[in-house]
Amino acid sequence: MPTMPRSPQQSLLWRSALAWTVWLGVTVSVKAARPVAEEPVSFRRDVMAVLAKAGCASGPCHGNRNGKGGFKLSLRGEDPATDYATLINGLAGRRLDFTAPADSLLLLKPTTDVAHEGGARLKKGSREYEILRRWIAARSPDDASAPKLTRLEVTPRDDYYYAPRTNAQITATAVFADGLRRDVTTLAVYEVSNVAVAEVAPDGRVMRKSDGETTVLVRYLDQQAPVRLAFVPRHPEFAARKFPQPANAVDEQVYAKLKQLRLNPAGPCTDEVFLRRAYLDLLGILPTADDARAFVADTAKDKRAKLVDTLLERPEFAESWAMKWADLLRLDERTLDRKGARLFYDWLRTSIASHEPIDQFARKLVSARGSTYANPAANYYRNLRTPVERAEAAAQVWLGTRLQCAQCHNHPYERWTQDNYHDWTALFERVDFQVLENRRQDENDSHEFKGEQVVFVKNSGEHQNPRTKKTSVPRFLGVPTPVGEWAKQNAALVSTAATPSPLNGERGAIASGRASSPSPHPTLSAPSGSGEGKASAVPAISGIAWPTNAITGPTDLDALAAWLTSTNNPLFARSQANRIWFHLMGRGLVDPIDDFRSTNPASHPALLDVLTAELAKSGYDLRHVIRLVMSSRTYQASSEPTKGSEDDMVNYSHNIVRRLTAEQLLDAQSEAAGVPLEFAGFPDGTRAGQMPLLKTGARRKSSPLDQFLVAFGKPPRQTPSECERSSEPTMTQAFALISGPTVQDFIGEKDNRLAPLLASGKPAGELVNELFWNVLTRAPSQPESEKLVALLDTAPNKRAALEDILWGLLNAKEFVLRK
Amino acid sequence: MNSFACPGFHSAEKFSRRTLLKVGGLGMLGLTLPKLLAAESLAPGSAVSMPKAKAKSVIFLYQFGGPSQIDMFDMKPDASDKYRSPHKPISSSADGIQVSERLPDVAKVMDKVTLIRSMTHKMLNHNSASYYALTGHAPPVDDIRLRDTLDLAPAYGSVVDALAPISGELPTFVAYPHVCRDGAITPGQHASFLGKQHDPLLVLRDPNAADFSLPELSLPNGVSFERLTARRELQKMIDGQSRLLDYASAARGMDAYYEKALTMLHSDKLRSAFDLSKEPEKLRDRYGRTTYGQGLVLARRLVEAGVKFVTVYFSDNIGGQSTDSGGWDTHGFNNTHMYPIVEKYHLPITNQTLPVFLNDLDERGLLDTTLVVWMGEFGRTPELNKQTSRDHWPHCYTTLLAGGGAKRGFVYGASDKQGMYPADKPVRPDDLAATVFHLLGIDPRTEVMNHQQRPLPIAEGEVVSGVIA
Repeated sequence: MPTMPRSPQQSLLWRSALAWTVWLGVTVSVKAARPVAEEPVSFRRDVMAVLAKAGCASGPCHGNRNGKGGFKLSLRGEDPATDYATLINGLAGRRLDFTAPADSLLLLKPTTDVAHEGGARLKKGSREYEILRRWIAARSPDDASAPKLTRLEVTPRDDYYYAPRTNAQITATAVFADGLRRDVTTLAVYEVSNVAVAEVAPDGRVMRKSDGETTVLVRYLDQQAPVRLAFVPRHPEFAARKFPQPANAVDEQVYAKLKQLRLNPAGPCTDEVFLRRAYLDLLGILPTADDARAFVADTAKDKRAKLVDTLLERPEFAESWAMKWADLLRLDERTLDRKGARLFYDWLRTSIASHEPIDQFARKLVSARGSTYANPAANYYRNLRTPVERAEAAAQVWLGTRLQCAQCHNHPYERWTQDNYHDWTALFERVDFQVLENRRQDENDSHEFKGEQVVFVKNSGEHQNPRTKKTSVPRFLGVPTPVGEWAKQNAALVSTAATPSPLNGERGAIASGRASSPSPHPTLSAPSGSGEGKASAVPAISGIAWPTNAITGPTDLDALAAWLTSTNNPLFARSQANRIWFHLMGRGLVDPIDDFRSTNPASHPALLDVLTAELAKSGYDLRHVIRLVMSSRTYQASSEPTKGSEDDMVNYSHNIVRRLTAEQLLDAQSEAAGVPLEFAGFPDGTRAGQMPLLKTGARRKSSPLDQFLVAFGKPPRQTPSECERSSEPTMTQAFALISGPTVQDFIGEKDNRLAPLLASGKPAGELVNELFWNVLTRAPSQPESEKLVALLDTAPNKRAALEDILWGLLNAKEFVLRK
Repeated sequence: MNSFACPGFHSAEKFSRRTLLKVGGLGMLGLTLPKLLAAESLAPGSAVSMPKAKAKSVIFLYQFGGPSQIDMFDMKPDASDKYRSPHKPISSSADGIQVSERLPDVAKVMDKVTLIRSMTHKMLNHNSASYYALTGHAPPVDDIRLRDTLDLAPAYGSVVDALAPISGELPTFVAYPHVCRDGAITPGQHASFLGKQHDPLLVLRDPNAADFSLPELSLPNGVSFERLTARRELQKMIDGQSRLLDYASAARGMDAYYEKALTMLHSDKLRSAFDLSKEPEKLRDRYGRTTYGQGLVLARRLVEAGVKFVTVYFSDNIGGQSTDSGGWDTHGFNNTHMYPIVEKYHLPITNQTLPVFLNDLDERGLLDTTLVVWMGEFGRTPELNKQTSRDHWPHCYTTLLAGGGAKRGFVYGASDKQGMYPADKPVRPDDLAATVFHLLGIDPRTEVMNHQQRPLPIAEGEVVSGVIA
């Protein structure tokens, strides 16, 4: 950098950046010195922070479940009291030597004066070293009663640094319960998400490594906060005035950030590209050649919006979203059985086709009980056989939150504690299944079920928290009030949530008394006003009696339904809005889409706010948000980046090119070649995108079509996450496209699309044109046309030549990828 | 079920790497994990030091069902009738090492192998224990229901393919001729969260069949290489028009696989490796005209060609009740008895194939650079059951290693008097995993990120340096 010639202006910037650094450096060292010199060392605030900062309490080191080298600390210092006891009582006083503090193992080990497997973690005489030494010299007091840390404030929250600036400073301030504010910049731990972009020194100084964005996670004691930083290169091509007029709020937000990053958005995509995108994104299929030509020829100004409106009402739209939910809710033959999976799939498809609001859809699913045949929604629980699975799935699907880490220890990157996890799990403890019959084929496979089941909620059953060894009280995630009390306080909400809906006519008939149960897990009290005899939230089960230990009145699950979609819970709308965005744009604003946490912030927080508000305002209308996104210039941008934005993967400066999903690709090949698919057990012509269930089972032979779908990443539906669907390229895929049996069948089938073309006797140019519109949704370019016409005209075997061209089209990147 | 247990937390990894990869996405540069790992391992002063590779390749011979150590490699002739094998021990070519009289030819190659007689773990179910054996990671539950999900660790070969792939026309990881199942598919046979691109080249064909070939390496009827090349030219012309290859990394990534696939299709080396007809008939006879025997001919040919990790599954099921197929699970169920079965099927096949295979490798100078691992998911109960058969016994069993830097004619660890528990130097599958990676020149402490963005060391045990020559 310094060797580059600089203009006077740049030079000024450069000098001020330097001065800034120097000034910061001084400030930090002055601040840093103060607490050590003036205050007694606090175990809770200083020693614990040093142990975290030096990495001692991390998972691979002494924070390990089994400790290391006979010394075990709580993971990331989540349990200071135990750590204190460990330090004080350990190794007969050798760990802490009050008479000769410097001879304490706590200091000899991390400085490697005594051999330390973890290497050198502290420098003798460093600030951290001094904190530990002075604490030991003061005979290692605990200060358990010290006011708790309530907040960690960091600056900046997010910022952009423009070349030639190469550094920045993060500061961290701890706020304690007694109001004390303390600069903890040098005590905090810094972790960089994108190590290629920057590194952070222990004193919070950020050094640029390359241009780009990164999150820096700042952690002090049990609090953490993210800082988003971007180092922006000069981008001489950037033209601030060349931004198009935003079409709506989506563009406003996306463009605002692009301007900060000095990136110009790509130009608009062509009608042909838009049409293909819209068909794939909304219906999962290709447009026909005739529809495509008609759309391109249409001169109406609003034809794109009209197209979206039309497609949103087609049955394939509901099928496409039903498949998405079928993946998430894990519809498989093995556990749901064929009948149940089909019924559940139809239920999902009907819900989407009938414009059912997403919040109502969610409420019905989480509160579903009864026969898995008579009330298909009850299949929601059938594949979630344990409380832990139910709790984790509910968090992941409806709140976009991964709780898994917190089962065994406090979540390392989120506020969820192990106690939160188990209180939430307790909510699902009493869900149970009455297996009316099971004609399973594999005796050894206890997850295989064939036959009707009744999902019900038991009137007893407690969940034990493994940490406290006490019974967990059911609580909604992050809500301190126990579920029972919450339901009383929000009785009106609970009874509204349980209102029968037009789609769920089977709800309502049965009402009966509730069994009593011991505290601290009382059954849910009836919401006021919904007494006995009134419509309750219980679906009927035709001709089947409830198990005797079933609660037949309202349960915790009805309260869950109410809380989940209430305004008290912002995560529901946010995560569902993000899911819609992900589906259309190929990347979540929060990404992965089921990993919402403060330490994984949205790339465009304000845009996510807009989408969330629109979703709620529209009455949770899926189509409304889709229309909003698809009418933006951002959605309609070309995938070809502008100069300077080639590397952008997260800011939507251009559309993200991505592979068709397994089902889309197989259906597109079949449609393009004019050869319908044949899935065993389904009517001929059933598309891959219409398959209600995933066939699984040890004895099942998979067909070439199934193998194709698996090779291209169709998810096995074993986790409630969209990440299970894979889009990575593989060797197997390459072989499948080059010489695989399905592609060969499509091309070689005598009666495929090529047969009528050959028989038509049309000139080569027309044949080529027809093939291009059918396969690639566009006319051939002039060079393509010339080359292929020449090929056909000189070919000794026209059919073979057409087959070669069809192979070339099916293998073209623009066929396999969504452009 | 413990749906997401936390196996990754017994790690002994250096701190620096962990801090690298964990928060949020990978940002604007779109670096993918393997790239990042590669970038880091190249960085000077990197925290990860790669051990020197002693083995170029690994051949993993997986004995599904659980072979009986007591009746093969860890005989207890002095134990009481309730424990002792009806077979007698015999001396072998290695001083002081005895094996079963039913393995007389195996006895002649004991000077080339290391026996670990103190393998130990606690998983009693086939799927859980097999997952442990095939990945070196303890499963979250000991349950037949252990489901093959992305939470579970990848197969050894997939880790090798992700961290130390070979370039050129050959695949890094080949597995055949079965997929193991016990009820459900046994976990640990594929790349799991590392991504499908690291799955093995899986060949589900019988190498003992007359028409054995690799369908992927055969062109469809009527399509010559010339025609395929012409098709590729058409594809390239259309791709040129869309410019996707110029600006979309997804297109370039896909095209790279096309290139590799076409190279493999055109590769004489690979086709030839799979062409068992090139092997002298007499040698093939000596290996045994069985799926397993010919599978080992193929394993040798693949390693000879340069493939890095070959997994051969002895059977697709736990078996144990038939004298002409199936695995080693000889409980004596359904009124069968263990000894008539293993005497007729499992032991003769092993006795025929294993020594010929090891000698063949050795004579070609391949054994020094090829680590052969022969193991099941567990051993069998030292005490005979009511059917004069043996049940599952993970607490102490024997694994055989040969070549690739392992000692010759050596026994590591020991079982107690009756063979119930390790009496000396217990070795967990975790430790064996660390040893295998170490011998391949891959630092066992290397961490990969799972699908929950949680760092997982590829092996959680300690290298068993005592078995290394």
